[in-house]
Amino acid sequence: MTEAVERAPPRLVASVTLKLLAGLVLLALWEISVRLWAPAYVARPSGIVLVLLPVLSSTPFLRAAAATLGAVAEGLLIALLAGIVVGIAMGRSFVVDRVIRFYMFALFAMPMVAILPLITLWLGYTDGARLATTVFAAYFSIALNAADGARAVPSEYLEVGAAFRAPRTRVLVGIVLPASLPYLLAGIRLAAARALIGAVLAEFFISVDGLGTYILYNSRSYHHNEAMVGVLVLAGIGMGFEALVNWVTRRYFPWYRRDETPR
Amino acid sequence: MTRWYGWGLTTLGLTAGATLWEIAGRHTSPAFLVPLSETLARLVELGRSGELWVALLSSLLLFATGLGLAVLIGVPLGLLLARIQSLRVALEGYIAFLNATPMAALIPFILSIMGFGFAPKVLVVLLFAVFPLLYNTVEGARSLKPELVEVARSFRSGEMALWRDVLLPFVLPFALTGFRQAIGRALVGMVAAEFFLSASGLGMLIQQDANSSDTAGVLGVILLITLLGVALMELGNALEHRVAVWRGLRR
Repeated sequence: MTEAVERAPPRLVASVTLKLLAGLVLLALWEISVRLWAPAYVARPSGIVLVLLPVLSSTPFLRAAAATLGAVAEGLLIALLAGIVVGIAMGRSFVVDRVIRFYMFALFAMPMVAILPLITLWLGYTDGARLATTVFAAYFSIALNAADGARAVPSEYLEVGAAFRAPRTRVLVGIVLPASLPYLLAGIRLAAARALIGAVLAEFFISVDGLGTYILYNSRSYHHNEAMVGVLVLAGIGMGFEALVNWVTRRYFPWYRRDETPR
Repeated sequence: MTRWYGWGLTTLGLTAGATLWEIAGRHTSPAFLVPLSETLARLVELGRSGELWVALLSSLLLFATGLGLAVLIGVPLGLLLARIQSLRVALEGYIAFLNATPMAALIPFILSIMGFGFAPKVLVVLLFAVFPLLYNTVEGARSLKPELVEVARSFRSGEMALWRDVLLPFVLPFALTGFRQAIGRALVGMVAAEFFLSASGLGMLIQQDANSSDTAGVLGVILLITLLGVALMELGNALEHRVAVWRGLRR
């Protein structure tokens, strides 16, 4: 135990072996504990492997995955466009910031699942209700992070703009927006996770076609292995998006330290 | 001066919002929106009848139990991963994976395996909250420089002293960042559990009101949950800020 910390970090090969080994141990623990203590319908690795390909190639599953992914992507895009505008306005204008900050923060802190009954009241049990949930889930973290980014623009940058007599819109689009991109990316990463959760919970609530509904129906009819494939795909989407945003941040904003992420 | 100006603007914003809500509520069908005054009156009514407090207490109990268990599991496990490097290398990828998994998707499984009752709901809150805690603690462990441990060792520091003087001070601020995130997620988990598992607490109150087309009730309880969320998140921020200086971040 003592040597483990003090040794230099394990070499790559050793660390990959270690990770794979840990994965095998975790899978084995899952498999054994389900076989020993759980009813036969409970998902376990060997069962999931057997249904993996049939589920992944079935039309209903693909349609469900496309529906959820589409709603999340569309919601993120809307939240991004609206969030950038409001966030930059908050970051660069004291008046705007003070007038709406409380609302933005309160709606950010509010658990989005709580408004599902209200959203269905307004929009019915429709695709639109799911889209509204994803937008709502994503919007506030994007806007608040964009605001932090716009506030943190180095004043030298703005002075250059002023020296060249750049009009206000050009300063905002040409200087403030690019300079706040790293913050915005951190906001997008968080927003994507929240939008995914929002989409799944909305599907549970309103039963429109999607991965959440697929998981719900299959687990209700005791097809837990099939349902678990849905969970894995959702996790893959979450992981993939996070990896993408992290890659963009590292590739284009290498100076940006991750633990400066304010929210 | 700027301070008063700022407060003035915030007050202006709140007043404008309240007025807008009031006006919009009076000009739409009550099935969609009711005025703020009516919402608040309904909230007071729910409070007088005691219904609101019973629901709030039940929700808070669920929240606190789930979050408490998440801390009891996440932080010691995170610290252990900080101390034993090979364990961290082995598990950190899986923790990141689980942190990115929308735990909401596991609710149907929990429902069909564990059924109704308090325990499955606690499990939902725990699952929502534990991974941000664990993930951030591991991030802290990852940035713990081996040199620090070496220096402590070369001064013949014992295991106890090593934990007290190096590990805890270094990793706890990260754990607190995780705690702040866990608060927000646990709140979502709480309402989700109350909606989709056995109905209880504030979640049940919202659904009851929605089913009886009591828009004022729905809006009132959502308002209360929002204030609860703000208060809890402020608490998390305050805790995090207390140690942010220590961690070396100017925030």
